[in-house]
Amino acid sequence: MSVPRNLVIILLSWAAAAFPTPAAAQTSTATLSANVGAVASLTLSSAAVAFPDADPDVVAQIPATGGPLVITAKSRATGGAQVVLSVQAADDLRSGVVVIAASNITWTGSGAGFVAGTLSKSSPVTVATWTGSGVRSGSQQFFFRNLWTHPTGTYTLTMTYTLSAP
Amino acid sequence: MTRTMHTSRALCAAAVLLAVLAAPSSALAQGRGGGGNPQIDLTISPLSISFASANPDTTPAIVAAPIVITIRVRQNTGPWTLTVLANGDLLSGPSSVDISNVTWTATPAPPFQGGTLSKTVAQRVASGTGTVNPAQNGSVTFRLANSWTYNAANYTQTLVFTLTAP
Repeated sequence: MSVPRNLVIILLSWAAAAFPTPAAAQTSTATLSANVGAVASLTLSSAAVAFPDADPDVVAQIPATGGPLVITAKSRATGGAQVVLSVQAADDLRSGVVVIAASNITWTGSGAGFVAGTLSKSSPVTVATWTGSGVRSGSQQFFFRNLWTHPTGTYTLTMTYTLSAP
Repeated sequence: MTRTMHTSRALCAAAVLLAVLAAPSSALAQGRGGGGNPQIDLTISPLSISFASANPDTTPAIVAAPIVITIRVRQNTGPWTLTVLANGDLLSGPSSVDISNVTWTATPAPPFQGGTLSKTVAQRVASGTGTVNPAQNGSVTFRLANSWTYNAANYTQTLVFTLTAP
């Protein structure tokens, strides 16, 4: 009789060691969602571009005073989408009733994605293009085509920049 | 012969005891302990955490509505821990936002604490020793670091909260 009792005691001792108090655990799952919408932000170093007077024989292309216009374009677009920065003149250069075509203003571009162009009042002209989201910076150096045929006067026009991120 | 029968009965009794000792493991996996084992309860409301779209310049960090985590720990003398693990980055098709851009703050501290989400290592949300009885509420507020580099999309991911004791 004593042998079986000892065996039971040994088995119980082993069981206690083999099955310690188990850890309790409970889980809960939550869903995280983020709506990241398309958004764009455009910053120009100056809201004005001016050209000084000059002798057409000496300066055929008058650079804008103050140097290049620095542009910072921030855009959040869908993956792989093309982001476009464009500019369009609201009208020709005007001084009262006297008109000089907006196409006499040209620019060169500096910085990744920036390209040269000629101003137009009839359609937007591309200033820069990029792919996808990001913060980009570059510059435009404007020039005015200086001709003896331009009537004297102080001319102005308004340009509108558009940054589109689909 | 009599000795053999007694031995068999003792072995049967030991087997039954072993089965009884082993049984609570499955019950505790659901967070309900019996006898002197820890009993834990975890409730989260709501189970949906949402970040609205915002301009990164004006809203560097997007704040989601707080969630309430309720924990209760009974019959426990050791440490207990609440952790959270993301099942991956924020995903939307081929686009992704690294889950480490999501952080949280929590009150009251302690036992709750702030942290940064991870998809590889469970992060501690709350911890303590002994019991939490009656149940205690914690307010957890998640934040998404906003960026111009994210692709525009609707992202989702699941978070697994786990309360364990000891």
